[in-house]
Amino acid sequence: MTPLALLLTFSSLLFTLGLLAVLTRRNAILILVGIELMLNAANLNFIAFWRYGPPDPDLTGPMFVLFSIAIAAAEAAVGLAIILMVFRHTRSTDLNRLDSLHG
Amino acid sequence: MTPLLILTPLILLAALGAVWNARPVHAALLLALALALIAVLYLIIGADFIGLVQFMVYVGAIAVLIVFSLLITRPGDEAEELARRPRSLVTGLACVLPVLAILVYAVSRVVKFPDAPVENPSVSIAQVGQVLFTSYAPAVLTVGVLLTAVMIGAALFARDPGKNPQFPSDS
Repeated sequence: MTPLALLLTFSSLLFTLGLLAVLTRRNAILILVGIELMLNAANLNFIAFWRYGPPDPDLTGPMFVLFSIAIAAAEAAVGLAIILMVFRHTRSTDLNRLDSLHG
Repeated sequence: MTPLLILTPLILLAALGAVWNARPVHAALLLALALALIAVLYLIIGADFIGLVQFMVYVGAIAVLIVFSLLITRPGDEAEELARRPRSLVTGLACVLPVLAILVYAVSRVVKFPDAPVENPSVSIAQVGQVLFTSYAPAVLTVGVLLTAVMIGAALFARDPGKNPQFPSDS
């Protein structure tokens, strides 16, 4: 097994774990935890392809990951702010209770 | 190769704890551990700068933010969560395992790069800065604007509406 295949398999597993958290958790903040794991799995693919792929003088892989981390920080900040706002209204972060719009 | 074989199972264990621990704060701390180990992984495979950024942003900012949000909000009922577990695990795995199968199949057929060296040379931070502020300068400026907007937006969302009479309190 080459290092590239090892890293890609590992990031597939990490992505799957994040997806499992998103699907099974009910606490909105812990769903964000799953999303962070999935984002990290995607970043790891970029780094693995940059490191073990064809030569890349423009550093496309690391640059993409750098911007992806910046966007992820923004996403986490806004996401948690929204969750806090929802918590202030409903006194709960349980997504099953947020059904006041249901038809 | 050997450090990777040692480190990747550790990261998966920490991530599994983050996904499956019934106590929200423990789950968030295990997430911080997994993110820190991923930063070490970046350092090992030669992406030094990305490893440092990962450590500062993910472990230093995002994980801490998640822990504090959990402390501010009220966690759900732990007993109820544990009772719901078996059923949600079955449905969750039924959705997730096909995705894993597709991903692993794709990785097993991944394109071979005949012209690739065993590994590309690692980059210095000077090189990263050089590229970042020449070819990627527009993107850096855009991210700066985005982060400013996010900072204002998050502060607006998280403020206590009762404190400021200028804004109508949204009931």
